[in-house]
Amino acid sequence: MSQAPAEARRAGVFVALDDLLRDRLTTPQHVREGRTPLRIFLPWALVLGGLHGLFIGCYALFNGTTGATTHMLAVMAKLPALFLFTLLVTFPSLYVFNALLGYGLRFRATLRLLVATIVVNLALASSLGPILAFFTVSTKSYTFIVLLNVAILGIGGLASIAFLLRTMIRAQNAEQPLDATPDPTATAAPAAATETPRRALPLLFVWIITYSLVGTQMGWLLRPFIGHPGQPITIFREREGSFVEAIWNATAGQATPNNLRR
Amino acid sequence: MIAPLTISAPLHRAGTALRRIGDQRTPLSIRGSLLLILFLSPIYGLAMGASDPTGERAWYMVYSALKMPLMIDCSAALCLPGFFTITTVLGLRDAWRDSIRAIALSQAAMAATLASLAPVTLFIYANGVSHRAALLTNGGMFLLAAALAQVTLWRHYRPLLNQSRRHWITLAYWLVAYIFVGIQTGWMLRPFIGTPGAAPTFFRDEPFSNAYVVVWNLVFGG
Repeated sequence: MSQAPAEARRAGVFVALDDLLRDRLTTPQHVREGRTPLRIFLPWALVLGGLHGLFIGCYALFNGTTGATTHMLAVMAKLPALFLFTLLVTFPSLYVFNALLGYGLRFRATLRLLVATIVVNLALASSLGPILAFFTVSTKSYTFIVLLNVAILGIGGLASIAFLLRTMIRAQNAEQPLDATPDPTATAAPAAATETPRRALPLLFVWIITYSLVGTQMGWLLRPFIGHPGQPITIFREREGSFVEAIWNATAGQATPNNLRR
Repeated sequence: MIAPLTISAPLHRAGTALRRIGDQRTPLSIRGSLLLILFLSPIYGLAMGASDPTGERAWYMVYSALKMPLMIDCSAALCLPGFFTITTVLGLRDAWRDSIRAIALSQAAMAATLASLAPVTLFIYANGVSHRAALLTNGGMFLLAAALAQVTLWRHYRPLLNQSRRHWITLAYWLVAYIFVGIQTGWMLRPFIGTPGAAPTFFRDEPFSNAYVVVWNLVFGG
Protein backbone atom coordinates (compact mmCIF):
# COMPACT_ATOMS: atom_id res chain seq x y z
CA MET A 1 0.00 0.00 0.00
CA SER A 2 2.72 2.46 1.00
CA GLN A 3 5.00 1.48 -1.91
CA ALA A 4 3.36 3.74 -4.46
CA PRO A 5 3.62 6.99 -2.43
CA ALA A 6 7.23 6.11 -1.53
CA GLU A 7 8.07 5.61 -5.20
CA ALA A 8 6.30 8.81 -6.12
CA ARG A 9 8.28 10.64 -3.42
CA ARG A 10 11.53 9.19 -4.75
CA ALA A 11 10.63 10.15 -8.30
CA GLY A 12 9.62 13.59 -7.00
CA VAL A 13 13.09 14.10 -5.55
CA PHE A 14 14.72 13.38 -8.93
CA VAL A 15 12.17 15.50 -10.77
CA ALA A 16 12.90 18.35 -8.34
CA LEU A 17 16.63 18.17 -9.13
CA ASP A 18 15.88 18.03 -12.84
CA ASP A 19 13.53 21.00 -12.52
CA LEU A 20 16.17 22.96 -10.63
CA LEU A 21 18.80 22.28 -13.30
CA ARG A 22 16.27 23.28 -15.97
CA ASP A 23 15.59 26.59 -14.22
CA ARG A 24 11.98 25.68 -13.46
CA LEU A 25 12.27 26.14 -9.70
CA THR A 26 13.94 29.51 -9.85
CA THR A 27 11.24 31.54 -11.51
CA PRO A 28 10.79 34.96 -9.89
CA GLN A 29 7.81 33.62 -7.93
CA HIS A 30 9.84 30.71 -6.60
CA VAL A 31 12.70 32.97 -5.55
CA ARG A 32 10.63 35.73 -3.99
CA GLU A 33 8.28 33.37 -2.19
CA GLY A 34 11.08 31.00 -1.21
CA ARG A 35 9.45 28.00 -2.83
CA THR A 36 12.68 26.18 -3.68
CA PRO A 37 12.41 23.55 -0.92
CA LEU A 38 15.43 23.22 1.34
CA ARG A 39 14.28 19.81 2.58
CA ILE A 40 14.91 18.48 -0.92
CA PHE A 41 17.95 20.48 -1.98
CA LEU A 42 20.00 20.28 1.20
CA PRO A 43 20.07 16.45 0.97
CA TRP A 44 20.86 16.79 -2.74
CA ALA A 45 23.87 18.98 -1.88
CA LEU A 46 25.07 16.26 0.51
CA VAL A 47 24.51 13.44 -1.99
CA LEU A 48 26.08 15.19 -4.98
CA GLY A 49 28.98 16.49 -2.87
CA GLY A 50 29.50 12.97 -1.52
CA LEU A 51 29.45 11.56 -5.04
CA HIS A 52 32.05 14.02 -6.27
CA GLY A 53 34.08 13.32 -3.11
CA LEU A 54 34.03 9.65 -4.10
CA PHE A 55 35.53 10.50 -7.49
CA ILE A 56 38.20 12.70 -5.89
CA GLY A 57 39.05 9.96 -3.36
CA CYS A 58 39.67 7.49 -6.21
CA TYR A 59 43.20 8.89 -6.66
CA ALA A 60 44.38 7.66 -3.26
CA LEU A 61 42.54 4.37 -3.78
CA PHE A 62 44.02 3.58 -7.21
CA ASN A 63 47.50 4.58 -6.10
CA GLY A 64 47.38 2.01 -3.31
CA THR A 65 47.85 4.56 -0.52
CA THR A 66 47.49 3.12 2.99
CA GLY A 67 44.16 4.11 4.52
CA ALA A 68 42.73 5.08 1.13
CA THR A 69 39.23 3.78 1.91
CA THR A 70 39.02 5.87 5.08
CA HIS A 71 40.36 8.82 3.12
CA MET A 72 37.71 8.32 0.45
CA LEU A 73 34.93 8.23 3.02
CA ALA A 74 36.38 11.34 4.69
CA VAL A 75 36.47 13.21 1.36
CA MET A 76 32.87 12.16 0.67
CA ALA A 77 31.92 13.94 3.89
CA LYS A 78 34.35 16.84 3.52
CA LEU A 79 33.37 17.97 0.02
CA PRO A 80 29.73 18.80 0.79
CA ALA A 81 30.95 20.18 4.14
CA LEU A 82 33.29 22.54 2.27
CA PHE A 83 30.39 24.10 0.36
CA LEU A 84 27.82 24.09 3.15
CA PHE A 85 30.14 25.29 5.96
CA THR A 86 31.31 28.11 3.68
CA LEU A 87 27.67 29.06 3.19
CA LEU A 88 27.10 28.84 6.93
CA VAL A 89 29.99 31.23 7.63
CA THR A 90 29.22 33.68 4.82
CA PHE A 91 25.44 33.60 4.82
CA PRO A 92 24.89 36.45 7.31
CA SER A 93 27.12 38.77 5.31
CA LEU A 94 25.67 37.62 1.99
CA TYR A 95 22.18 38.36 3.27
CA VAL A 96 23.19 41.81 4.52
CA PHE A 97 24.89 42.68 1.21
CA ASN A 98 21.69 41.67 -0.57
CA ALA A 99 19.67 43.98 1.66
CA LEU A 100 22.13 46.90 1.48
CA LEU A 101 22.57 46.75 -2.29
CA GLY A 102 18.81 47.00 -2.73
CA TYR A 103 18.16 43.53 -4.07
CA GLY A 104 15.66 42.92 -1.29
CA LEU A 105 15.50 39.10 -1.15
CA ARG A 106 14.02 37.78 2.09
CA PHE A 107 16.17 35.77 4.52
CA ARG A 108 14.82 32.32 3.62
CA ALA A 109 14.61 33.14 -0.09
CA THR A 110 18.31 34.11 -0.06
CA LEU A 111 19.20 30.86 1.71
CA ARG A 112 17.18 28.76 -0.72
CA LEU A 113 18.68 30.51 -3.73
CA LEU A 114 22.25 29.98 -2.47
CA VAL A 115 21.67 26.31 -1.58
CA ALA A 116 20.14 25.81 -5.04
CA THR A 117 23.28 27.38 -6.56
CA ILE A 118 25.49 24.99 -4.58
CA VAL A 119 23.41 22.05 -5.83
CA VAL A 120 23.87 23.20 -9.45
CA ASN A 121 27.62 23.53 -8.86
CA LEU A 122 27.91 20.06 -7.32
CA ALA A 123 25.60 18.46 -9.90
CA LEU A 124 27.80 19.67 -12.71
CA ALA A 125 31.04 18.75 -10.93
CA SER A 126 29.81 15.25 -10.10
CA SER A 127 28.56 14.71 -13.65
CA LEU A 128 32.15 15.33 -14.78
CA GLY A 129 33.31 12.88 -12.08
CA PRO A 130 33.47 9.84 -14.41
CA ILE A 131 36.14 11.66 -16.45
CA LEU A 132 38.09 12.36 -13.24
CA ALA A 133 37.78 8.74 -12.09
CA PHE A 134 38.88 7.51 -15.54
CA PHE A 135 42.05 9.59 -15.37
CA THR A 136 42.85 8.57 -11.79
CA VAL A 137 42.96 4.92 -12.92
CA SER A 138 45.88 5.70 -15.19
CA THR A 139 47.61 8.66 -13.58
CA LYS A 140 50.31 8.73 -10.95
CA SER A 141 51.03 12.44 -11.41
CA TYR A 142 49.64 14.39 -8.46
CA THR A 143 50.00 17.70 -10.31
CA PHE A 144 47.89 16.45 -13.24
CA ILE A 145 45.11 15.30 -10.92
CA VAL A 146 45.18 18.59 -9.01
CA LEU A 147 44.87 20.52 -12.28
CA LEU A 148 42.04 18.27 -13.50
CA ASN A 149 40.20 18.75 -10.20
CA VAL A 150 40.63 22.51 -10.42
CA ALA A 151 39.32 22.49 -14.00
CA ILE A 152 36.27 20.38 -13.10
CA LEU A 153 35.38 22.42 -10.03
CA GLY A 154 36.06 25.57 -12.07
CA ILE A 155 33.53 24.50 -14.71
CA GLY A 156 31.00 23.75 -11.95
CA GLY A 157 31.70 27.13 -10.36
CA LEU A 158 31.28 29.03 -13.63
CA ALA A 159 28.00 27.25 -14.38
CA SER A 160 26.66 28.01 -10.92
CA ILE A 161 27.61 31.69 -11.25
CA ALA A 162 25.79 31.82 -14.60
CA PHE A 163 22.79 30.14 -12.98
CA LEU A 164 22.78 32.61 -10.09
CA LEU A 165 23.11 35.62 -12.36
CA ARG A 166 20.34 34.39 -14.64
CA THR A 167 18.02 33.79 -11.70
CA MET A 168 18.73 37.21 -10.20
CA ILE A 169 18.19 39.00 -13.51
CA ARG A 170 14.93 37.16 -14.09
CA ALA A 171 13.72 38.04 -10.61
CA GLN A 172 14.53 41.70 -11.17
CA ASN A 173 12.95 41.74 -14.62
CA ALA A 174 9.75 40.40 -13.07
CA GLU A 175 9.95 43.06 -10.39
CA GLN A 176 10.54 45.90 -12.88
CA PRO A 177 6.91 46.67 -13.78
CA LEU A 178 6.04 46.93 -10.08
CA ASP A 179 8.89 49.34 -9.29
CA ALA A 180 8.85 51.46 -12.40
CA THR A 181 6.22 53.99 -13.33
CA PRO A 182 4.02 52.47 -16.02
CA ASP A 183 5.25 53.59 -19.40
CA PRO A 184 2.87 53.21 -22.32
CA THR A 185 5.59 53.63 -24.96
CA ALA A 186 7.24 50.46 -26.15
CA THR A 187 10.68 52.09 -26.48
CA ALA A 188 11.14 52.24 -22.70
CA ALA A 189 11.17 48.46 -22.32
CA PRO A 190 14.60 47.72 -23.81
CA ALA A 191 16.17 50.42 -21.65
CA ALA A 192 14.77 48.81 -18.49
CA ALA A 193 15.93 45.39 -19.61
CA THR A 194 19.50 46.54 -20.15
CA GLU A 195 19.52 48.33 -16.80
CA THR A 196 18.49 45.23 -14.86
CA PRO A 197 21.75 43.25 -15.06
CA ARG A 198 23.58 46.33 -13.75
CA ARG A 199 21.60 46.07 -10.53
CA ALA A 200 22.28 42.37 -10.06
CA LEU A 201 25.97 42.47 -10.97
CA PRO A 202 27.37 44.37 -7.94
CA LEU A 203 25.61 41.99 -5.54
CA LEU A 204 26.77 38.96 -7.46
CA PHE A 205 30.33 40.35 -7.50
CA VAL A 206 30.39 40.91 -3.73
CA TRP A 207 28.83 37.48 -3.11
CA ILE A 208 31.43 35.74 -5.30
CA ILE A 209 34.35 37.54 -3.65
CA THR A 210 33.10 36.79 -0.11
CA TYR A 211 32.15 33.19 -0.81
CA SER A 212 35.33 32.35 -2.72
CA LEU A 213 37.64 33.91 -0.10
CA VAL A 214 36.01 32.00 2.74
CA GLY A 215 35.65 28.90 0.56
CA THR A 216 39.37 28.89 -0.23
CA GLN A 217 40.26 29.08 3.45
CA MET A 218 37.65 26.42 4.29
CA GLY A 219 39.20 24.16 1.68
CA TRP A 220 42.63 24.83 3.20
CA LEU A 221 41.29 23.93 6.64
CA LEU A 222 39.56 20.74 5.49
CA ARG A 223 42.45 19.47 3.34
CA PRO A 224 43.65 16.90 2.26
CA PHE A 225 41.11 16.11 -0.45
CA ILE A 226 43.15 14.38 -3.13
CA GLY A 227 45.90 13.11 -0.86
CA HIS A 228 49.54 13.84 -1.76
CA PRO A 229 51.28 10.50 -2.45
CA GLY A 230 54.37 11.65 -0.53
CA GLN A 231 52.47 12.49 2.65
CA PRO A 232 50.70 10.17 5.09
CA ILE A 233 46.92 10.10 4.77
CA THR A 234 45.17 11.97 7.55
CA ILE A 235 41.58 13.10 7.94
CA PHE A 236 42.74 16.68 8.57
CA ARG A 237 46.17 18.24 8.36
CA GLU A 238 47.58 20.34 11.20
CA ARG A 239 46.44 23.94 11.14
CA GLU A 240 49.17 25.99 9.45
CA GLY A 241 47.81 29.51 9.17
CA SER A 242 45.80 30.68 6.23
CA PHE A 243 45.81 29.83 2.53
CA VAL A 244 46.93 33.36 1.68
CA GLU A 245 49.88 33.07 4.10
CA ALA A 246 50.89 29.77 2.55
CA ILE A 247 50.79 31.24 -0.95
CA TRP A 248 52.74 34.29 0.27
CA ASN A 249 55.38 32.13 1.93
CA ALA A 250 55.70 29.95 -1.15
CA THR A 251 56.11 32.89 -3.51
CA ALA A 252 56.83 36.45 -2.40
CA GLY A 253 57.86 35.40 1.13
CA GLN A 254 60.82 33.55 -0.40
CA ALA A 255 62.04 36.74 -2.00
CA THR A 256 64.28 37.86 0.87
CA PRO A 257 67.22 40.11 -0.04
CA ASN A 258 69.56 37.12 0.34
CA ASN A 259 67.48 34.99 -2.01
CA LEU A 260 67.29 37.77 -4.57
CA ARG A 261 71.07 38.27 -4.51
CA ARG A 262 71.67 34.60 -5.42
CA MET B 1 19.59 -17.49 -56.00
CA ILE B 2 18.84 -17.25 -52.28
CA ALA B 3 22.38 -16.46 -51.11
CA PRO B 4 22.85 -13.20 -53.07
CA LEU B 5 19.45 -11.98 -51.91
CA THR B 6 20.27 -12.77 -48.28
CA ILE B 7 23.51 -10.83 -48.52
CA SER B 8 22.18 -7.98 -50.61
CA ALA B 9 19.35 -7.05 -48.23
CA PRO B 10 21.59 -6.09 -45.26
CA LEU B 11 24.05 -4.42 -47.64
CA HIS B 12 21.23 -2.38 -49.12
CA ARG B 13 20.11 -1.38 -45.62
CA ALA B 14 23.68 -0.48 -44.67
CA GLY B 15 23.97 1.65 -47.81
CA THR B 16 20.75 3.49 -46.97
CA ALA B 17 21.97 4.02 -43.39
CA LEU B 18 25.28 5.42 -44.65
CA ARG B 19 23.52 7.90 -46.95
CA ARG B 20 21.31 9.01 -44.05
CA ILE B 21 24.39 10.00 -42.00
CA GLY B 22 24.79 13.05 -44.18
CA ASP B 23 21.09 13.65 -44.77
CA GLN B 24 19.85 16.66 -42.83
CA ARG B 25 16.15 16.10 -43.55
CA THR B 26 15.82 12.44 -42.52
CA PRO B 27 18.99 11.72 -40.55
CA LEU B 28 19.78 8.30 -39.18
CA SER B 29 18.45 7.56 -35.68
CA ILE B 30 20.70 7.39 -32.60
CA ARG B 31 20.19 3.61 -32.46
CA GLY B 32 21.08 3.27 -36.13
CA SER B 33 24.24 5.35 -35.62
CA LEU B 34 25.30 3.20 -32.68
CA LEU B 35 24.74 0.03 -34.70
CA LEU B 36 26.84 1.45 -37.53
CA ILE B 37 29.66 2.25 -35.09
CA LEU B 38 29.43 -1.24 -33.64
CA PHE B 39 29.62 -2.94 -37.04
CA LEU B 40 31.87 -0.61 -39.03
CA SER B 41 34.61 0.35 -36.57
CA PRO B 42 35.85 -3.26 -36.09
CA ILE B 43 36.43 -3.40 -39.86
CA TYR B 44 39.14 -0.78 -39.56
CA GLY B 45 40.40 -2.48 -36.39
CA LEU B 46 40.92 -5.68 -38.39
CA ALA B 47 42.91 -3.76 -41.00
CA MET B 48 44.89 -1.77 -38.45
CA GLY B 49 46.08 -4.89 -36.66
CA ALA B 50 47.12 -6.57 -39.92
CA SER B 51 50.52 -4.93 -40.31
CA ASP B 52 52.16 -8.34 -39.86
CA PRO B 53 49.42 -10.99 -39.89
CA THR B 54 51.71 -13.95 -39.41
CA GLY B 55 51.68 -16.44 -36.54
CA GLU B 56 50.69 -15.06 -33.15
CA ARG B 57 50.71 -11.48 -34.40
CA ALA B 58 47.47 -12.18 -36.27
CA TRP B 59 45.83 -11.76 -32.86
CA TYR B 60 46.36 -8.00 -33.22
CA MET B 61 43.65 -8.00 -35.87
CA VAL B 62 41.16 -9.45 -33.38
CA TYR B 63 42.34 -7.23 -30.52
CA SER B 64 42.16 -4.04 -32.58
CA ALA B 65 38.76 -5.01 -33.97
CA LEU B 66 37.48 -5.34 -30.41
CA LYS B 67 39.18 -2.16 -29.23
CA MET B 68 37.90 0.18 -31.94
CA PRO B 69 34.23 0.34 -30.86
CA LEU B 70 35.44 0.36 -27.24
CA MET B 71 37.58 3.42 -27.90
CA ILE B 72 34.80 5.34 -29.66
CA ASP B 73 31.98 4.39 -27.27
CA CYS B 74 33.85 4.45 -23.92
CA SER B 75 35.13 7.99 -24.56
CA ALA B 76 31.61 9.11 -25.42
CA ALA B 77 30.09 7.36 -22.40
CA LEU B 78 32.52 9.12 -20.05
CA CYS B 79 31.72 12.55 -21.50
CA LEU B 80 27.94 12.09 -21.68
CA PRO B 81 26.99 12.78 -18.01
CA GLY B 82 28.75 16.16 -18.13
CA PHE B 83 27.22 16.94 -21.52
CA PHE B 84 23.76 16.11 -20.19
CA THR B 85 24.15 18.33 -17.13
CA ILE B 86 25.61 21.26 -19.09
CA THR B 87 22.78 20.99 -21.64
CA THR B 88 20.23 20.97 -18.80
CA VAL B 89 21.79 23.85 -16.89
CA LEU B 90 21.90 25.94 -20.06
CA GLY B 91 18.17 25.34 -20.55
CA LEU B 92 18.66 23.31 -23.74
CA ARG B 93 17.16 20.01 -22.64
CA ASP B 94 14.43 20.22 -25.28
CA ALA B 95 17.14 19.92 -27.91
CA TRP B 96 19.00 17.15 -26.04
CA ARG B 97 17.89 14.41 -28.43
CA ASP B 98 18.90 16.42 -31.49
CA SER B 99 22.33 17.25 -30.06
CA ILE B 100 22.98 13.61 -29.10
CA ARG B 101 21.90 12.50 -32.56
CA ALA B 102 24.32 14.99 -34.13
CA ILE B 103 27.13 13.57 -31.97
CA ALA B 104 26.17 9.94 -32.69
CA LEU B 105 26.01 10.72 -36.42
CA SER B 106 29.47 12.28 -36.34
CA GLN B 107 30.86 9.17 -34.65
CA ALA B 108 29.09 6.95 -37.17
CA ALA B 109 30.68 9.09 -39.90
CA MET B 110 34.09 8.49 -38.33
CA ALA B 111 33.50 4.73 -38.15
CA ALA B 112 32.24 4.64 -41.74
CA THR B 113 35.18 6.66 -43.04
CA LEU B 114 37.66 4.45 -41.22
CA ALA B 115 35.97 1.30 -42.51
CA SER B 116 36.11 2.66 -46.05
CA LEU B 117 39.82 3.43 -45.61
CA ALA B 118 40.62 -0.11 -44.42
CA PRO B 119 41.56 -1.34 -47.94
CA VAL B 120 43.92 1.65 -48.33
CA THR B 121 45.64 0.80 -45.04
CA LEU B 122 45.92 -2.87 -46.08
CA PHE B 123 47.35 -1.81 -49.44
CA ILE B 124 50.01 0.32 -47.71
CA TYR B 125 50.84 -2.54 -45.32
CA ALA B 126 51.14 -4.87 -48.32
CA ASN B 127 53.94 -2.67 -49.63
CA GLY B 128 56.03 -3.80 -46.67
CA VAL B 129 56.24 -0.50 -44.84
CA SER B 130 58.18 -0.07 -41.59
CA HIS B 131 56.50 0.05 -38.15
CA ARG B 132 57.00 3.81 -38.06
CA ALA B 133 55.34 4.22 -41.46
CA ALA B 134 52.47 1.98 -40.31
CA LEU B 135 51.95 4.26 -37.29
CA LEU B 136 51.99 7.35 -39.51
CA THR B 137 49.57 5.73 -41.98
CA ASN B 138 47.06 5.03 -39.21
CA GLY B 139 47.55 8.51 -37.79
CA GLY B 140 46.72 9.95 -41.20
CA MET B 141 43.62 7.74 -41.56
CA PHE B 142 42.34 8.80 -38.14
CA LEU B 143 42.99 12.45 -38.99
CA LEU B 144 40.99 12.17 -42.21
CA ALA B 145 38.15 10.30 -40.45
CA ALA B 146 38.10 12.88 -37.65
CA ALA B 147 37.90 15.71 -40.21
CA LEU B 148 34.89 14.08 -41.91
CA ALA B 149 33.29 13.45 -38.51
CA GLN B 150 33.68 17.18 -37.77
CA VAL B 151 32.00 18.07 -41.06
CA THR B 152 29.08 15.77 -40.17
CA LEU B 153 28.87 17.13 -36.63
CA TRP B 154 28.85 20.69 -37.95
CA ARG B 155 26.16 19.88 -40.53
CA HIS B 156 23.77 18.42 -37.93
CA TYR B 157 24.62 20.89 -35.17
CA ARG B 158 24.17 24.01 -37.30
CA PRO B 159 20.34 24.12 -36.98
CA LEU B 160 20.78 23.95 -33.21
CA LEU B 161 23.35 26.75 -33.27
CA ASN B 162 20.89 28.83 -35.27
CA GLN B 163 18.25 28.20 -32.61
CA SER B 164 20.35 29.32 -29.66
CA ARG B 165 23.88 30.61 -29.25
CA ARG B 166 24.13 28.63 -26.00
CA HIS B 167 24.58 25.49 -28.12
CA TRP B 168 28.08 26.80 -28.85
CA ILE B 169 28.95 26.09 -25.21
CA THR B 170 27.66 22.51 -25.34
CA LEU B 171 29.46 21.93 -28.64
CA ALA B 172 32.70 23.36 -27.24
CA TYR B 173 32.36 21.18 -24.14
CA TRP B 174 31.82 18.09 -26.26
CA LEU B 175 34.78 18.72 -28.54
CA VAL B 176 37.20 19.53 -25.71
CA ALA B 177 36.05 16.74 -23.39
CA TYR B 178 35.80 14.09 -26.13
CA ILE B 179 39.24 14.81 -27.55
CA PHE B 180 40.74 15.04 -24.03
CA VAL B 181 39.23 11.70 -22.94
CA GLY B 182 39.55 10.04 -26.37
CA ILE B 183 43.32 10.55 -26.51
CA GLN B 184 43.71 8.95 -23.08
CA THR B 185 41.36 6.07 -23.97
CA GLY B 186 43.39 5.38 -27.10
CA TRP B 187 46.58 5.52 -25.04
CA MET B 188 45.24 3.06 -22.48
CA LEU B 189 43.89 0.65 -25.09
CA ARG B 190 47.17 0.43 -27.05
CA PRO B 191 48.79 -1.55 -28.62
CA PHE B 192 46.69 -1.49 -31.79
CA ILE B 193 49.40 -2.28 -34.32
CA GLY B 194 51.95 -3.94 -32.05
CA THR B 195 55.68 -3.36 -31.77
CA PRO B 196 57.57 -5.70 -34.15
CA GLY B 197 59.00 -8.68 -32.33
CA ALA B 198 56.84 -8.22 -29.22
CA ALA B 199 54.31 -10.92 -28.26
CA PRO B 200 50.73 -9.80 -28.86
CA THR B 201 48.85 -8.61 -25.77
CA PHE B 202 45.43 -7.00 -25.39
CA PHE B 203 46.84 -4.30 -23.09
CA ARG B 204 50.49 -3.37 -22.75
CA ASP B 205 52.32 -5.41 -20.16
CA GLU B 206 52.90 -2.36 -17.95
CA PRO B 207 50.81 -0.28 -15.53
CA PHE B 208 48.42 2.24 -17.10
CA SER B 209 49.96 5.66 -17.63
CA ASN B 210 48.74 9.12 -18.53
CA ALA B 211 49.29 10.18 -22.15
CA TYR B 212 49.52 13.88 -21.27
CA VAL B 213 52.07 13.36 -18.50
CA VAL B 214 54.16 11.16 -20.81
CA VAL B 215 54.13 13.83 -23.54
CA TRP B 216 54.94 16.57 -20.99
CA ASN B 217 57.89 14.55 -19.68
CA LEU B 218 59.08 13.88 -23.24
CA VAL B 219 58.98 17.57 -24.17
CA PHE B 220 60.08 19.22 -20.94
CA GLY B 221 61.84 16.34 -19.18
CA GLY B 222 60.69 14.97 -15.85
